[in-house]
Amino acid sequence: MSTLRQYELVYIVSPNATDEVVAELHTQVEAIVGKFDGRIEKTENWGKRRLAYEVNRCKEGTYVLELLSGSGEMVTELERRLRVAEDVLRHLVVRVDEELHVAERTATRRAETRERRRAARGLPPEAPTARAPVEAAAKEGE
Amino acid sequence: MAGKRSGGRKDSKKKKDDRGGKKSGLFRRRKVCRFCVEKVDYIDYKDARMLLPFIPERGKIQPRRLSGTCATHQRKLQTAIKRARQLALVPYVTD
Repeated sequence: MSTLRQYELVYIVSPNATDEVVAELHTQVEAIVGKFDGRIEKTENWGKRRLAYEVNRCKEGTYVLELLSGSGEMVTELERRLRVAEDVLRHLVVRVDEELHVAERTATRRAETRERRRAARGLPPEAPTARAPVEAAAKEGE
Repeated sequence: MAGKRSGGRKDSKKKKDDRGGKKSGLFRRRKVCRFCVEKVDYIDYKDARMLLPFIPERGKIQPRRLSGTCATHQRKLQTAIKRARQLALVPYVTD
């Protein structure tokens, strides 16, 4: 089996479509994801929102966000199906695992640096409030 | 009195230093990357409200020299805006 990757899928459903159509699309996505041994981590319906520009003569649309994990083949199939679906105005699939990984790494590195610098200044590690110790240090320096 | 004069000279010198390298004689605040200040690691394309300050009236992406964003964050911002455009969260152009 191919490696599991994390994706974000956002699709915009036509404003003329009923709630059932939206639900139907969701089940379709679910079926495809299930077929490729993927998983839906989270589904978010943003409701009807104004579009920044007209798409297929529509000024608004229902946004649905799905967080998925699965293989690349799953995404190919999803994209193919979404492109064919008439009620879907737009869709976008973004692979997020690498970006989130990078973000996480920068966050931990920043925390480490802060900790190291605190230690270098002879301050106790991990203070309850960030500001109070800094002010105390400034007073000490004077 | 002599002391007073030297003090005055010192001040004027300092002013000149502050202004060095600026195009006009006006004092301008140094721009700081907003994402660095807020310690943002991931610029989310779904959050249109966060992207909007970087999209002036025309719909173009504001250049770094105007917004003061650092290179790393400008790059991330650019991808985020382009993704948001595809999803009609943010305009391509506005007239």
